[in-house]
Amino acid sequence: MRDPFDLAAGWVQEHVLIPFLYAIGWMRWEEVSYGWALAAVYGLVQVTATLALCTPLERWRPVERWPDRKAVVVDVLYTLLSRVGVLPLVTFVLFYQVQVDVTGWLVDHGWVPPMLERLVPALMGHQILTFFCYAVILDASDYWRHRLSHMFRWWWALHALHHAQRQMTFWSDDRNHLLDDLIGFVWFAVIALAIGVPPLQFPLLVLVLRFVESLSHANVRLSFGTVGERLLVSPRFHRAHHGVLAAGQRSCNYGAVLPWWDMIFGTADFSRDFVPTGDPEADEAMANGSYLAQQWAGLRRFGAALIHRHAPG
Amino acid sequence: MRPLPRLTARLIVLAGLLLPWPAAAAGLAFVMNSGAASISLIDMSTHKELRRIPVLREPHHWAMSPDGKSLLIGDSSGNTVFFLNPITAKVQRTVVVADPYQLGFSPNGKYLVVNGLARNQIDVYDAATMKLAHRFPIRSMPSHLAYSPGSHRVFVTLQGTNRLVALDLRDMKVLWDKPVGNTPAGILWLNGKLLVCDMGTDYVQEIDPATGNEIGRIVTERGAHNLFLSPDRKTVWVNNRVSGTTSVVDAATLKVLRTYKIPGGPDDLSFAPDGKVWLTRRFAESVAVLDPATGKFSVIDVGRSPHGIFLSPNAPSPDRLAAAR
Repeated sequence: MRDPFDLAAGWVQEHVLIPFLYAIGWMRWEEVSYGWALAAVYGLVQVTATLALCTPLERWRPVERWPDRKAVVVDVLYTLLSRVGVLPLVTFVLFYQVQVDVTGWLVDHGWVPPMLERLVPALMGHQILTFFCYAVILDASDYWRHRLSHMFRWWWALHALHHAQRQMTFWSDDRNHLLDDLIGFVWFAVIALAIGVPPLQFPLLVLVLRFVESLSHANVRLSFGTVGERLLVSPRFHRAHHGVLAAGQRSCNYGAVLPWWDMIFGTADFSRDFVPTGDPEADEAMANGSYLAQQWAGLRRFGAALIHRHAPG
Repeated sequence: MRPLPRLTARLIVLAGLLLPWPAAAAGLAFVMNSGAASISLIDMSTHKELRRIPVLREPHHWAMSPDGKSLLIGDSSGNTVFFLNPITAKVQRTVVVADPYQLGFSPNGKYLVVNGLARNQIDVYDAATMKLAHRFPIRSMPSHLAYSPGSHRVFVTLQGTNRLVALDLRDMKVLWDKPVGNTPAGILWLNGKLLVCDMGTDYVQEIDPATGNEIGRIVTERGAHNLFLSPDRKTVWVNNRVSGTTSVVDAATLKVLRTYKIPGGPDDLSFAPDGKVWLTRRFAESVAVLDPATGKFSVIDVGRSPHGIFLSPNAPSPDRLAAAR
């Protein structure tokens, strides 16, 4: 049975992108455009599914009620840019090319490029199991990236933008400074190259993981129970990480999808219950400014941190 | 029930295989799902997908070994060539090769040329040993290839720079490097000239192999992407990516005889012994089996972004094997 999302991406490619590329004489980009179409369609499905599931949850049992939701609007823009717009294209093209160059160079020098399936050949043909292995490794590496982003003053200056939001909702997951995103991409690329992550091979499964990440930011009084909280990051668990007392170097609950790394490395805190979010030390522009104002404020704080004039929260 | 002795059982299977084949093509179709890291195996008699052979990342094209015993499938971003038995579909071995996007053996069986589309390189391997004999760093995006009948020249389309390059395989040097159309892709040696598909245009260029100069054009439809010579050598089939059509060109006169509508991004095709034409539909996750007589086609679901397709009509289909048992 054909995948309806793949077919939708194929339709966009066949009826929109290829005629456009043909018209402007850019047919050499047709493979890239298909990659983008896949990423964009799955991104759109992610956003739609998250919207459809999280909106009723947030209305059902909100942690906080606000007189207006202006601050959330910018987060919507972050999400669309990150999941449907330009970023998937850049990520796909850039990572694909880096991966081809690095692995090809290794082959030229007599090395076999690293790949989980080469290490464990039994994984070949078992898509879900293979994806699970990749996801666990990437989630563990992301735990450390996230934890380090709180430890270094200059990095925290950028990451503080993500924490500045006082009206945290499921839209807040992609609210990041572009430089923070760039560091995240390089971090991911290095790990992904080391284990040979296949770009765009598991779009449906990536969709599920991204949903968990979005849900963990939702403004909903939702816990997965004593056992569930220790299997998957819940809104309650992640909210503790965004709490005003957790902003800065001494935070907790860094995990994005799996809480296991917090439990292993001693940063898990299951006791905090639906705390208010935000970074008290962040400029107001980082919390309530426009997209550009937030980016600029983050950049200024980053510059200040580099010359040691700004202490972390 | 007492099992049949092994030899007897084998003789029964063999006898079954020797029975006349039905009119509908039997055998196996191998479809390279470039976006799903797998090769779909299809029973050609029932049009059912039997299973998917896992590969590492991104299988695109294939080449048959000179002795006919191995089907080589290039997994480009997996940096691996898979050798499969074309009859049983079993993986015989794998060889680590940098970016094997497109590959083809020379007619004399001496060389294997591998185009690294993403790495901008054309590698020439000794076909017998699979040792790299020479690398041509080339800009950019070497895509499809065609040999001269004598095997000492290979012509490669360069999608990224809109050029066609001719390489001398005896001296390992570039003979000429000429501009062609827009986004050149499929290429075919036919009756002393080269036919080059230009994906950014609606025509196939006729090129003089000695000079690289254009000597004519065959207007097909938008996005002429790839072309194939029919087994009887009477027609050339051109897949037009943008218009979603397949044009049939008279190989002698180079006139378009007929055009079929095949939506879904027609890419590679292969000819079945029963006269049907099997085409991959890149954006529709399927293979079209076209009856040229009626223009109608049936569809077989496969994996994401199917690209290369190889038909192995001599492979015993599972149904036939089962019947023989």
